[in-house]
This record gives sequence, structure tokens and C-alpha cells, in this order.
Amino acid sequence: MTKPKTKPRRKKSRKKKASQSKTRASFREYLFNRYTFAGVILFTLFFASYLFYLNIKITDKMSGRIWSLPSHVYARPLELYQGKHLTVKQLKLELKQLDYSRVTSRPTKTGQYRILNESHFEIISRDFTFWDGEQKSQGIRLSIYNNQLATLHKLYSDETIALFRLEPVKIAGIYPATQQERQLIKLDEVPDDLVLALLAVEDRRFYQHWGIDPRSIIRAMLANVMAGGTVQGGSTLTQQLVKNLFLSPERTLSRKINEALMALLVEINYDKSVILETYINEVYLGQNGAQQIHGFELASQYYFARPLIKLRRDQMALLVGLVKGPSWYAPRRHKKRAVERRNQVLKLMLERGALTQAQLNKYVALDLGLANKPRFSSNRYPALIDLVKRQLNSDYDEDDLRSSGLKVFTSIDPLIQAQAEASVKRVIKRLESANPNAENLQTSLIVASSQQGEIQAMVSDRQPDFSGFNRSLDAVRQIGSLIKPAIFLTALQQPQKYTLASVLEDTPLHIKTSKEVMWSPQNYDKKFSGNVLLHQALEKSRNVPTVRLGLELGLSDISDTLQNLGVTRNIPTYPSMTLGAFSLSPLDVANMYQTFAANGFNVPLKVIREVLNKDAKPLKRYPLKSDKAIDEKAIYLVNHALHRVTQTGTARSLATKLSHSVAGKTGTTDDLRDSWFAGFSDDQLAVVWIGRDDNTSTGLTGSSGALHLWTDFFQHLEAIGDLRSYSLQPPAGINNVWIDGESGGLSEKNCLGAVELPFIQGSEPTEKAACQSAGIIEQIKRFFN
Amino acid sequence: MPVSRNHRTDKTFFQLESLFKLASVFVLLLWLTGCAQTKLGEVDSVESILPVADSHNLPDVIKTLIKQSDEQYLNLNLPGSLATLERAVRINPRQAEVWSRMAQVYLKQGNLEQAKQHAKRSNSVLKNNTQLKAFNDRIIAATSAEQIN
Repeated sequence: MTKPKTKPRRKKSRKKKASQSKTRASFREYLFNRYTFAGVILFTLFFASYLFYLNIKITDKMSGRIWSLPSHVYARPLELYQGKHLTVKQLKLELKQLDYSRVTSRPTKTGQYRILNESHFEIISRDFTFWDGEQKSQGIRLSIYNNQLATLHKLYSDETIALFRLEPVKIAGIYPATQQERQLIKLDEVPDDLVLALLAVEDRRFYQHWGIDPRSIIRAMLANVMAGGTVQGGSTLTQQLVKNLFLSPERTLSRKINEALMALLVEINYDKSVILETYINEVYLGQNGAQQIHGFELASQYYFARPLIKLRRDQMALLVGLVKGPSWYAPRRHKKRAVERRNQVLKLMLERGALTQAQLNKYVALDLGLANKPRFSSNRYPALIDLVKRQLNSDYDEDDLRSSGLKVFTSIDPLIQAQAEASVKRVIKRLESANPNAENLQTSLIVASSQQGEIQAMVSDRQPDFSGFNRSLDAVRQIGSLIKPAIFLTALQQPQKYTLASVLEDTPLHIKTSKEVMWSPQNYDKKFSGNVLLHQALEKSRNVPTVRLGLELGLSDISDTLQNLGVTRNIPTYPSMTLGAFSLSPLDVANMYQTFAANGFNVPLKVIREVLNKDAKPLKRYPLKSDKAIDEKAIYLVNHALHRVTQTGTARSLATKLSHSVAGKTGTTDDLRDSWFAGFSDDQLAVVWIGRDDNTSTGLTGSSGALHLWTDFFQHLEAIGDLRSYSLQPPAGINNVWIDGESGGLSEKNCLGAVELPFIQGSEPTEKAACQSAGIIEQIKRFFN
Repeated sequence: MPVSRNHRTDKTFFQLESLFKLASVFVLLLWLTGCAQTKLGEVDSVESILPVADSHNLPDVIKTLIKQSDEQYLNLNLPGSLATLERAVRINPRQAEVWSRMAQVYLKQGNLEQAKQHAKRSNSVLKNNTQLKAFNDRIIAATSAEQIN
């Protein structure tokens, strides 16, 4: 019984086991399904979130400002008109800096010029948008005789032109951190032929696919397998765009997956035309030094110096061909490769019906037609660009400057800058070899138009292209005797009390500056001359009479005068300030002397004229503003004395070295640490500082150092006929009177030692001085003067 | 807390009084503005006596720029007009006509200080042009009076 009992039990247990294993299996299945399900759910959630994240990344970038556009800084445009001082060399330099091509036959294209007989120019300008509107390309012909523009006509016409403005030279870019350079273009401005060539070469099924194109991928894979290497890519334009905009260039599976996903998302979010336009502006097409050339419009300017719209089809083909490898096919370095690539693209264009066979034959026979390599660099005039940035920083923040594509028009004159740089290099070297103690000299030279207060040139280092400490703005040094005109101006604004003929004491002076400290100012020659007239004290730069006068006037009054002259720094009011024992930068000094040069109108120096936005629409103008800060009669008297400084005073070497009349003042500080000269012609002001960075002695006075550099610069202006004599035009209410050069009393033209000086009406001396007749030779001299 | 009737009446009275004061100030301001417009209007009206560039012995290049600036001025493109005159100043800063025209544009812009300063600059480079001097002096006088007001 047990057996039969056992059997069913066995059966039962087998059954039980079977059902148990079934339960376990179904449980496992259940668990598996459940985990799978949860996994699928989780994966889906994760994938959806990831897609969502990618989508945000795409729309954030593509719907906002996609690119950081660098700002560009332009020099002043060269104005051409009859009578303009201009040499053949200068015009050639200007055209060279504008990257114009010199041709030997008639110029036919924009940006070309021809020179005939070394004096006649035929030029076809380029289109350019100025602050006041667009100026279309125009052909002009002009002639230059005796360093002057003699005639100006329309090209191939007898019609004269009164005025023509060449487009300005681009002198610098203010770049984003990526150093990407690009010029945006709208799709409807892109030539159809370029689009056609681009799609033929890079993505034939662009309008059919959804961002990825399996057919292209398979075709590319087959082609690559057959060739045994990578010869074809299967990436669509959208994938390429995604790769350039969002992904790194590494070749990994995850990057490829991301690229495909993002390409799909881009296609879902944006129209084909948006994708194409973005691609055309994004694609990398070359390298100019540190700057990356992005987009077809900039590439067109970079390789052919003309806008995309004006390219021939073979030139478009070259640009399209460059997409595959801008370095490998770099047309300026690898001409043969570039020609082959261009011809490949032209053949594809033929296949797509964009060219006829005859056209193809014509184009493949053509040269690449490249323009000269543009010289635009981010650092052509480092000191000036630093000033431009600082002045812009008051209106724009740094990020906007580097990314908003501003066009900044300045007053920088490349021709004057070239002269200034040449003078600095020449004279510093000369000074160092002539003076054994003068070594490691440093310098600053600022040139400005005196009436408009526009900075034209600036050098802040003995190596002008060195980008470092900007001495013109940041080297704050004692100014020495450059203060003197401000003190004499303070006096001459009180005509009832002081005139140019006032007698000042030049005798030992001791001033108690504190309980135990006594200050005894000295003249440079360590001598005292008894009495001097006020104008002589300025001309000969006598220290002691100046200190005495300054103390008499009151230090705070002198400080006020300095502020009226345009000095914005705080000036300490202690006695030694009357000898310039306080510090200013060369730019501060230039601001101060500009007011003298402009006859009392204080025009704060500026370098920026206008700013346009990236679409060339006017954004801001920095107009000429002036304030009548100083009485013109008192200024006239000081300027008269400053002119005499250059005739008989501390800068008298100018009287023989320049045939034009100028005015100015030397400055030297204790132990010959700083050598200064500030001076002006009728329309230009220049300030020179020479010193050493460690503030030790240079062994140079204002006359033996800075004046040499100033003279060299103005001699070159004079040599090219670009210097106007300083014209001392007396304002109403000024009378010229002959006075005795020693006593300051009234005298006559024929008297010995008589000097003719200007006086504010009513302030003329009344007491007569004794008159001893001047010799016949002296009288003849005066007659001719 | 209920507000008494008297309190409410007082409040209304004070509100009316404030309104009355505000209205008086407004009328006074209108009157002053009217006066100002009359004075500047006087200077504006001398436009007709401003010397025409063509009648002067000016270089062609300056004449061209003055003509261009005049057109911009008449089209009320005042910044453009000023920018063109600045080009003329850069070419020759000793042309009194150019500075004077700049004064006129500044005046039109309502920038009295710069109008006055540019009229003074015009006078400072002026040579025997009594008509232009008179015009500049009128700008200086009118802007000074206006600034005092």
C-alpha cells in the first residue's frame, strides 16, 4: 500500500516541483518583464529628458545671438580734394593699407588702382557704409604735384570732383575669446550659384532629408570601403552645422550619436532656410594669424577683397571647395591643390547644370584671382587701440565690445602715425648714442589736431608696436616747467596787475615749507639775474621769478587755471607745484596744451568719432564740443611768449630747424629724470615725454631730449608740406607796444634793447624808459622783422 | 473709526488748494517757455541773413560740405548736418562760416551752451565779416539770456 501511496506521492511531488518551477519561472518572467518594463520606462524617461536637454541647448543658441562678432576699429577716412597736402608716397601707403591692388592696365574692378608717370592715380574705390550713409564705389583720377593734390576728376571723364572720401583703413579688431572673425550675410543676399555649388558638393539631398541622410551614409561607407580609407563623408549640412556649433571635433561614437540626435532636433525646430543661412555664416574657411575666418562673406573679403555678391563663379567654387579642408587647400600656400579642388567643384556645378561646358572650360583655365593678403590685425597700433577701448568702455561693457560687431570710427591717421613711429625709432636711438648717460630711454609721443581735439597718432614705447605699459596714458610723471604757462596765464588774466612787461625779481628766495624745512628754489643755471620781465621769465624758463609770481598769485588760483585748461587730476597746492613738482600723464599734458593751441577753447581730446552697430546703423556719435574756458586776450599773450620760446628761448633751435612758425614749452624735472616738450603749429599739437621706467636720470633736459624728437617729427611734416605755421592772430582789444627790454617801460622802435610786445588794451605801461638809439644794423634787422 | 464730515471737507479743501498751486506753477512754466521760444525764435529767424556759402570766397571743398550740411539741416537731420560740418572743420578749422553754422545747428538742437561756444569760435577766426559777426553775436546774446533765464 505504501508503494502505490508512494507513487502518487512521487507524482504529487513531481507535480509540485513542476508547478513550483513553473511559478518560479513565471515569477522570474514576471520580474524580468517588470524590470524590463521599468527599464524601458526609465530609459524612455532618460532619453526624453536627454532630448529635451539637447533641444534646450539648440534653441538657446540658435534663437539668441549665435555668434560673438568682434568689433572693428577704423582709421580716419582720407579726404581727397584739390589743394590737399598729400605725397605720392602717402597715397600709395594709404592704398596699400586698404589692400588695393595696383594694376598696370586700366583699373576695372573695385579696389584697383593704377599710377601713371608717378603722379597720376586712377582708383576705383569700394562700397562703404560711413556713419552718414552708404558711399557707392566710384572711379576717380587725380594728380599730385609738389606734395599737393592738384586735380581730382571722375574716372574717364572731365567732370571735376570737389571732394572724395576713400573708405577708412581697418586698423584693429576687438576680438572675442575665441578669436573668431566673421561677417554676417543674409541668405537672400547669397548668390544662388554659391548655394547650388555648396549643396552639390556637401549635401545634394539637403531639401529631402531630416537632418541625417541614411542614403548618403551608406553611399559614403561603400565609397570608403572601396577606396580603403575615408574619401567621402556622409554628414549632411545640418550635421556639420551641429558639429561646428555644439560639439567637439573628436571622432567618437557618442559624439556621432549626439550629432545625429541634434541634427534631427535642429530640423524639427528650424526651417531649411534658417539652417542654410546659419551654416553659410558659421563654416570655418581659413586662418589669418590668430584670427579664424568664419563664414562665406568674410572669406570672400579675405581671399578676394570683395563682397560675396561680386564674386565670379570660379571664385565661389574655390570657397565652396575650401569647406573640405581650409588648411589643406589654403589657396595662398597651396595654389596647385586649391586649383584642383576648385576645378572639382566646377565639374560638380556642371553636373548640376549650373555651368555649361564652355563656361567650365573658361573657368578652369583662370588663375585663382586672389587679392593681396589683408593686413588687418588685432594689434597694429597697440597704444592707440588701448585708448580707443578705454574711451569705449565708458559707454559699452567689455563683453559687448568683444561680441556685438561694433564698427568704431576714429580720428587715427595712419600716415601721421607712421611719421610718429619713424621719428620715435630714429631719435631715441640717436639720443642714446649721443649721450653716454642716456640709455634704456622710454618715450611717449601724442599728436592731436589742435582745433578739433582729435588724437591722430600716439606712440607709447620706443618700440611702437610693443603692446605693454601705455606710457601716454599711464606714465604719470612730474611735468617740470610745463606748468609755467599756466602760472603766467593766471597772472595775465589780471591785466590791471600783470603784463608781459611786468618786472619780476630773480633773486635768492627762501620759503619755509614747514617748521624746520626751508625751500630755496634754484634756476637751472644756478644763477640769479636780478630783475627779469615776465615774458623773459617764461621764454628763458626762469624758476625763481616763477615761484615768486606763483606764491603772489596764490596756489589755489593756479590750480583753478590748470583745471580750466583741461587738467582733471587733483593738483596739490604746495609751493613746489609752481615748478611742476606734481605728476601728469602725457595725455593730461596734451589736454592742457590743447587749450593754448585752440586759443582758449578747451576741447577734451578724443579719439572716437562715431560708432555703428553690426548692421552698419548709426549707434553713437562723439561730436566736437568746446568750452571757452580762458579769456582769449590772456591766452594770446601767453601764446605770444610761447612762440618766443621757439625763437629766442629754451627751444630757440626750432627757429633754425623749422621754417614754419610754432609755439611751445620745454620741461625738465629734478635730476634730469623727465624730458618734456609740448608745442603746436596752427592745426597740430604734439607732446613728447622721454624718461626711464625706473625713474632714474636720463641726462637729458627738455631741450636736449624731448625737443629733438618733437623737432624731428615736425620736420618731416614740413618736408611733405603738411605743416601750417602757427598764426598769432590778435583778438580785438590787443595793442602792440615797444617797450624797453630791461625796465619794461615805454620805448620806441629805434631804441636800443626795445622789444615789441602785445598788451591788453589799457594795460600798456605808461612810464617812459630812457632811449638810447639802436645801431643801424639792429634797426635794419627790426625793419625786416 | 468713522471720518467726520468736517474732516472730509478739510481734506477736499486741501486737495483743491494743492491742485490750484500745481495749476499756477504749470501756467507760469508755460509762460516762461513761451518767452524762451520767442527769444530763440528771434535767432532762428535770422537764418535768412546767414550768408549763403556760394556767395563767399570759400574753397570748393568747404562749399560742397556746407551745401550738404544745409540739406541735412533742412531735412532736420541735425546730427548728420553737424557731422558734415565737422568734416569741413577738419579740412580747414579757420572758416568762420563753418563754426557759425555749427552754432546754428546746436541752437536748433536746443544745445544752448554749445551754440554759444561755437558762435564764439566763429568770432575768434572771423575776418572782416560784419554780417556774420552780427549773427554770431545775436546767438551769443540770445543763448546767454536764455541760460540766465
